[in-house]
Amino acid sequence: MDIRPILSALLRNRTGAVLVGVQVAITLAVIANAFFVIAKRLELVHRPSGNDSANLIFVQSEGYGPEYQHVATMRADLALLRALPGVVAAAPSSSVPESDGGSSSGYLTSPDPKAPVTNANVMEVDPAFLDAYGLKLVAGRKFRPEEYVAEPANNDLPPLVMISESMAKRLYGDAPAVGRPVYDNGGKQGTIIGVVSDMLGSWPRNVRPGPYDIVYHATGGLGRSWRYVVRARLGERDRLIPEIEKRLNEIGNGRAVTWVRPHDFWLLRTFRPDRRMIVFLTTLVVMMTSVTALGIVGLATFHVNARRKQIGTRRALGARRADIVHYFLIENGLLSLAGIVTGALLAWAASGWLASAFQTPPLPAGYVGLAALALLVLGQLAVLWPARRAGAIEPAVATRTL
Amino acid sequence: MLDMQHISKVYRTELVETHALRDLNLTVAEGEFVAVTGPSGSGKTTFLNIAGLLESADGGHYRLDGVDVGSLGDDARARIRNQKIGFIFQGFNLIPDLDVFDNVDVPLRYRGFAARERRARIERALELVGLAARQRHLPSQLSGGQQQRVAIARAIAGEPRFLLADEPTGNLDSLMARQIMDLLGEINRSGTTIVLVTHDPELARRAHRNIHVMDGEVTDLKPFAPRPAGAPVAVA
Repeated sequence: MDIRPILSALLRNRTGAVLVGVQVAITLAVIANAFFVIAKRLELVHRPSGNDSANLIFVQSEGYGPEYQHVATMRADLALLRALPGVVAAAPSSSVPESDGGSSSGYLTSPDPKAPVTNANVMEVDPAFLDAYGLKLVAGRKFRPEEYVAEPANNDLPPLVMISESMAKRLYGDAPAVGRPVYDNGGKQGTIIGVVSDMLGSWPRNVRPGPYDIVYHATGGLGRSWRYVVRARLGERDRLIPEIEKRLNEIGNGRAVTWVRPHDFWLLRTFRPDRRMIVFLTTLVVMMTSVTALGIVGLATFHVNARRKQIGTRRALGARRADIVHYFLIENGLLSLAGIVTGALLAWAASGWLASAFQTPPLPAGYVGLAALALLVLGQLAVLWPARRAGAIEPAVATRTL
Repeated sequence: MLDMQHISKVYRTELVETHALRDLNLTVAEGEFVAVTGPSGSGKTTFLNIAGLLESADGGHYRLDGVDVGSLGDDARARIRNQKIGFIFQGFNLIPDLDVFDNVDVPLRYRGFAARERRARIERALELVGLAARQRHLPSQLSGGQQQRVAIARAIAGEPRFLLADEPTGNLDSLMARQIMDLLGEINRSGTTIVLVTHDPELARRAHRNIHVMDGEVTDLKPFAPRPAGAPVAVA
């Protein structure tokens, strides 16, 4: 069946067709952008953490009394944690990965303060942190126990640091980073002794520092508040959480264990807005496509009812049921295509405006294509029912007075 | 051409059974022009629907051009309607959104003719009915008589062997009715078998043979005396 007579008939009955075409166009513009945002958020939520997240427990200890002895308490805590059955490893950790809270600092590859600064997440750990997080040494060596400074005098860059693979690439590109210097903003020099496999740092959404850019200091940090990361054996995490809280509270004077939580706690909290956005946008896509599908069903049903005599006449003149079904599928396909082309232009216009107003990334063509395909398929499925009803109209309708 | 034996048709609702046709027997030879007359509700339209394969009989045998059409499936019946039968309806049944050319083109497209073949047939048919200059007019831009001539062009463009006309002048004034009947006569003289369903005995006089249907049965089959050439015919 040729398209021209269907198109010319469609153009002579514009009102309903234009309304549904506009509906398709708006739906396409919205869902193309929604697909893009959903894909970006899914990518963020499912980005590999790089650590043994499912088995990690974090503990916060807070010294409050005059009798509190920070270093002694930390040593006792770590000895207890490492001796607990079901614990693979434990280490102090100044911040919790992917918690949206932590410290960052600027690093340079030259003592010249005008040299480019690379920001990184700073994590203060002890030599056991690789095992405690489940990370791998990629190059160089680990911190030695004697290199750990439990109570540093200040926050200055320590003489030896380890860095993540991403940070090594940022500082020195593809050249080996081990043995090379790093400088803080004050020109103080440290030396990179090891490169560690990537894990997501404190801010998984950040661009600067990048989510995997981490510099590890073998220091105990300042203050009375401290955190530990404990890596449990598979299946032991949930059992260990109450036990750790109980056992740690039994030792150390003048301190309290303020919380013991699985890493999931922060993952759920940090990515909650993203998950909500995914649910919201998915609901929006489902609702808009449903309304559009209903619009298509409505228009096609109206056309079928209004053209019963015409359909009966076509059948009398030799149209098979399948010819009538094809007629409505082609008619709806043309309508959808017109809406899709308009919608694609709208989607790009909306994306361009969003990009200039909110610095969002531009909408890739693939998402418009995906939305167009989804709407085309949906439209054809929606019109199938009224089209089949049209196909079932008997040719004898041609001689009846309707 | 058309051979109907013991044809019956019953319409059933939950409350009523209506016997539209009872034991109808009719044979129409190739090249005949037959008029089927009868009052409203006599079964004329049901006869036309069954003869044109628009619906099926409940009982009896029907052979069209030597084919037993009673056992055919829906697609095969559609193919026979498309290739062998031309329909002319009382209300013209033109598709209002298509122009004259595209209306005549409808059955030809279903037939699968190539574009050039279709164009030649459409132009020939429109030439015959005197509407070659109105190809791009919409039905709403034509008079009733012109619309019916478009419908005739549509019916004959595929060169069917059998033309079924259902009250073809029912919606026309007397002058236009005469023109249409003249046209049908001309088509018949070219060899096309025509069955004309009408309630108007004057129109029926233009046919070779008149069949009267009453209560779903053929009650009278009689040939008409040929009308003297040039004699006026009164039409409704």
